[in-house]
Amino acid sequence: MAASNDYGESSMTLTPTLEGGLVIEPGSEKDWQVLQMISRDSGRSAYLAESLAGLMIEDSEWEEYVVPDLTSSFDRQSSYVAVTIEEARKHGEQVIFVKPKHAEQWYGAVNQARLALEARYKLSKLDDLEGAPDEMRSAYFRDRFYLMLQSMLLEYVMGETSHY
Amino acid sequence: MTSPITKHKQKPKTQKTVPWSVIVLDDPVNLQAYVTMVFKKVFGYSQTKAEMLMMEVHTMGRSVVWTGAREKAEFYVQQLHTWQLQTTMEKVV
Repeated sequence: MAASNDYGESSMTLTPTLEGGLVIEPGSEKDWQVLQMISRDSGRSAYLAESLAGLMIEDSEWEEYVVPDLTSSFDRQSSYVAVTIEEARKHGEQVIFVKPKHAEQWYGAVNQARLALEARYKLSKLDDLEGAPDEMRSAYFRDRFYLMLQSMLLEYVMGETSHY
Repeated sequence: MTSPITKHKQKPKTQKTVPWSVIVLDDPVNLQAYVTMVFKKVFGYSQTKAEMLMMEVHTMGRSVVWTGAREKAEFYVQQLHTWQLQTTMEKVV
């Protein structure tokens, strides 16, 4: 089973593998750029860690003891995905394989990107794309692609049925 | 003959341990299936219990997913933050 995502002129194919992984097949240069945006959209890992710490009670010393570890963990996810995509491009590969053992890293990196996009553009409150600035429209379509990638990872690689 | 002096050890005043609740908040990004999976992984909950708590987060905006000692509550919050779920903790009143 495969799924395609259309945004403008290009499409990208996501296909589950028999080994329980996922193949991402970018169909154009634009698709590669969208993949590269995953780690760029995530922004500063410390931002997410700090915003989660902001939910904690004051005397928890979360900032001091937990935020550094969370930041490192988020950084690792984001860097792994960025490096995987860069390496695939550098070696002229046509597809990217997501092995089951790397699914959580991919999911986490994509989730960071979606959380950052939501914080920046409030996409969930966007009623109508008509009249929205180009930057926001572009963010919206990336978010939809990231959502599809997450759903495929959950359903076919991480073994959870996705409904949202 | 003197009677032996018996010393009564005074019981140390035990400070009542106040339980803490781990609370997951709703957000527009995390997928329902993902939240269910995280509850199963972090707490070892069954699919049914994890789904019930996830639906509570989704419909009520928050759910108490665990209650107990502060140290363990902090550990669970840290775990849930690692999975990028909006989580906090509150003293049970």
